[in-house]
Formats: sequence, C-alpha cells, structure tokens
Amino acid sequence: MNKPKVYVGINNEINGGMTTIGKLIRDAWVFELIEETETCEGWNLTGIDALLQKVNDEWDKYGCLVSFLPPELAQRHSRIHGAALEKAKSSGWSGEIETDDEDE
Amino acid sequence: MAKVYDAGVKDYRDTYWMPDYTPLDTDILACFKITPQEGVPREEIAAAVAAESSTGTWTTVWTDLLTDLDHYKGRAYAIEDVPGDDTCFYGFVAYPIDLFEEGSVVNVMTSLVGNVFGFKALRALRLEDIRFPIAYVMTCNGPPQGISMERDILNKYGRPFLGCTIKPKLGLSAKNYGRACYEGLRGGLDFTKDDENINSQPFMRWRARFDFVQEAIEKAEAETGERKGHYLNVTAPTADEMMKRAEYAKEIGSPIIMHDYITGGWTANTGLAQWCQDNGMLLHIHRAMHAVLDRNPHHGIHFRVLAKILRLSGGDHLHSGTVVGKLEGDREATLGWIDIMRDSFIKEDRSRGIFFDQDWGSMPGVIPVASGGIHVWHMPALVNIFGDDSCLQFGGGTLGHPWGNAAGAAANRVAVEACVEARNSGRELEKEGKDILTSAAKHSPELAIAMETWKEIKFEFDTVDKIDAAHK
Repeated sequence: MNKPKVYVGINNEINGGMTTIGKLIRDAWVFELIEETETCEGWNLTGIDALLQKVNDEWDKYGCLVSFLPPELAQRHSRIHGAALEKAKSSGWSGEIETDDEDE
Repeated sequence: MAKVYDAGVKDYRDTYWMPDYTPLDTDILACFKITPQEGVPREEIAAAVAAESSTGTWTTVWTDLLTDLDHYKGRAYAIEDVPGDDTCFYGFVAYPIDLFEEGSVVNVMTSLVGNVFGFKALRALRLEDIRFPIAYVMTCNGPPQGISMERDILNKYGRPFLGCTIKPKLGLSAKNYGRACYEGLRGGLDFTKDDENINSQPFMRWRARFDFVQEAIEKAEAETGERKGHYLNVTAPTADEMMKRAEYAKEIGSPIIMHDYITGGWTANTGLAQWCQDNGMLLHIHRAMHAVLDRNPHHGIHFRVLAKILRLSGGDHLHSGTVVGKLEGDREATLGWIDIMRDSFIKEDRSRGIFFDQDWGSMPGVIPVASGGIHVWHMPALVNIFGDDSCLQFGGGTLGHPWGNAAGAAANRVAVEACVEARNSGRELEKEGKDILTSAAKHSPELAIAMETWKEIKFEFDTVDKIDAAHK
C-alpha cells in the first residue's frame, strides 16, 4: 500500500494519535507554535518535519524533560497531553501496542 | 604379522563407544540430545555422533592407518535418558584438545556441529552444552574489555545499565535518528542502540548515521555530565568493510560498537573483538538468527552453547532474553546462561540446564542484555533477576511513552534507581515492586505516566524450549 502523501490530521488518527507525529503536534500546541485548533490535516512531510525542528528547539531549552518545564508550560503540557491520554485510553489504546511486536 | 586392512562397513561403536573412558581435564566435552531413527541402538548412534564430529567416516578408509586415531578420535563415553522424553537421549562425547586449532571457536564448531547434523541415522540432533577446558579457554581472546573495565570506561557503578533500541527500526533519516538517540540519552539512558538490521542502507548510510549519533552523544554528555554511548552497528558485507566502520567509530570518539555475531560470522567477530581490545573499544553483540539454531528442543544448538562461543570469541554485551518479557526464555535456563556469561566458575546444575562444570579462569565476563517487550512495571523483577551487571533495554517501553522519548527514558532511569535503592536497603523487589515504583513516581511525573500507560499489561505466553525436566 502506498503511503499517503499528506498527513491525515491528529483528529483523524486512530486512538487520538498516540504516534510520533501526534505527540509532536501536541508538543507544538504546548509551546504555542501552532494554534490548538490546528490539526495539521493535509500537511506534507516537509511541513511536519519543519514543525519537528521547531519543537525540538523548544524542548532543548528545557533538557527535553517535562520535569524541567516552567510552571505555565508544565500546566499546558499536563492539560493537553492528559486529555490526549484519557481519550486514547478510552478508545482502547494502551502501552501494550507500543511493546507488542517488539524484538530484541 | 603385519597389520591387515579390512575394507567395508563396520559398527561405529567398535571404535568410538568407550563407556569406561574417564574424560581428561584437557578434553573438550559435549552433550548432545540425540534423536535416532527408529531401530538404531543408542550406543551405536552415540558412537556415530562422536565419530562424525571428529575423525570418523562411515567406512574404514586406508588413510586411517596413517593417523593416530586413538589419540584424535572423539569418544562417546556416556548416555543418559532425557527426563520426560523417550524419543531421545543425551550422548556425552569427549574430544582431545589437540583436535582443534587454538583460539578458534570456528574450528571447534565446524567439527562439533558440522556434517554430523545431516547424518541420516539421526532424526534430530541438538548440541546442549560444551565444556571448554581451561587449557583451551586460555588460548582465546575473550571479551575485549570485560565488566569491570566497562564500568571504569563509562564511570557508572552499582546499578544495571539502561538502554533503548531506536525505532522505527528502518527508514529514519540519519538526522532524525540522531535526535531520537539524543532524547533517550538526555532523558537518562546510558546507551541507545542500532537495530541489528541497520547496517548501511540507502535511506541512512553508515557514515552519516555515525556522525549524527556521535553529535547526539556529545550533546547529551555535555548536558548531563555523564558518559553516554550508542551501539554503532559495524556489521557489514565484508570483514574489511566492517573494520573500516569500526575504525571510523573510534576516530569520532564512540566508546562502543556493535556486531551481529551469528549472521556476521564468528571469524569476523573474533577479529573484531581482538581489535576492540587493542583499541579500548567496547563491543555490544546482537544474536540475530539465534532462534533458528536454538529454539527447537530437539534440533540445533542450545543458546548456552552460543553464549559460551561468544564469550570465547569476544563481546562485552550479549542479548540474553528477559525472562519476564514477551520473548522466549525459560527462567531457570536463562539464569543458567547468565551465569555462564558472567561468572568465572559455573558448577554443573541440571536444574538450569548446565551439564558441565565450566572454568573460565581469568577470562572477563560478558554483560547480559535484557531487551524487548519490557517496561517500567518489569523493573523490580529485572533488577532482582539480572542484578547490577546487566543492561536493561526498553525499546517500546521508552519510545512508546505518551510524552515522548526523553520522558520514557527518564521514567526508566527513575524506576531503576528506585529499585536499586530499595534492594540495597533490604526490601524485596518483586514483592514490594508496586510500592517502590509508586513512591518514586511521586517525584517523577514521567514515571507516573509510564505506570499509568503500562499497568494493565500481562505476558502469559509459555516458552517453547524449557529445561527438559519441565517437560515431564
């Protein structure tokens, strides 16, 4: 099957987007790089990759760790990612999917 | 009267079955699980295995008269029932040390698991264990650095190492791959790892990967103040190309490289291990293809043999199974080969599938790597089972964290330190694991989320290859 040329949008991902791109978009919301209404539906790979670089630059300011975020950002992170986790779990996602087909 | 040469077929047992033989301290001993074709007597087939894995051929040839057969032949000296399985039996064979080139696991294995495995009188054959005499061990180079030296090189003591295989396993660009490594290392891992089948594909050539990963290591080291490493897989189509990649890894400052020792081959591995020792490099070993050889309980080579081969050929880390994860590995058998990898003397212990005493003398040990299908909830059991001299690798259990790679790494780092601290203060890890992790998670939002993400997972698959007593 051919890979889609554009991203389906975090709102259209299975289980609310517990994927690399889904996590990236939520981080972009946290750092206010894009509006929280922006789902990135229809974005091409270059657009997603450019967003990734911006998100990485933001994380670099805080050692990549939520524990190091200032209170305001930590609160945004908790709200945005907390809601996503809740939604994902209620739609059947669990960490099992992440370790299920793993080899050594 | 001059010796007379009789042509024709004769029974193997006339020459190779020696039940009164007492093995010498210098003999290489092997235990085979032998499944004969119907109607073939045990002594005859055991003798045939001894013959076909040493000096024998199915008929007497005139050149037999030109060699000192009694000196060089393998001797089948004992047979035993296999508990719970009357289709097969154990055959024990002693080989004189002079039969093999010094320091060459390649030569030993070419004899012991060579043509004999295709012998028609056998339905199946499995090499269960080998005793390498200390006289032979001392001719092998062994692990390049060993466990103590590795700790000194990395300045890390008193806890298991933590690692992670970068996913997706294939297809990432070198730059994004390096970024994933940085995030894992920055979050608290000691190592990240190339997948076994990442070599130098068109989507990510080896040199670009090495450069971006080394940049990630240096950035993480500068920010954390800790030594970090990434297993740069130098496995290549030719031994020369492999060495070229190893040299480059050293040149850019990587402390560790990686080799797929079964698919890459033991000749290449032994040469690479020697080079690592000469150049102060650590060598991580992946066992891709092992299950082809070791999974069938009746045919092939048991992993404890493959582990011994690696220790002799050379490697500082070896994937060993996880016991508690989803991948194959009987607990007692795994504990047995973990001892084989790390200890200096291992007693025969049938409850762990160890058929012989094994004396490694002063040869350094190999760090077992528990990798695949594990996550923070397994940490108490992993620390309890593997102890400090191990490397615990969480792939999906790191990268699958809902907050991303660094958060997954931080969760595992906090979990392992909490477990080690609890163990050191006398707490029972497997019994009190939940309390230990819950308490640690109060100070680590990353761990708290990891525990919420994975808590419902249970691994209930049974293992295919168990200790034979367990088949009863």
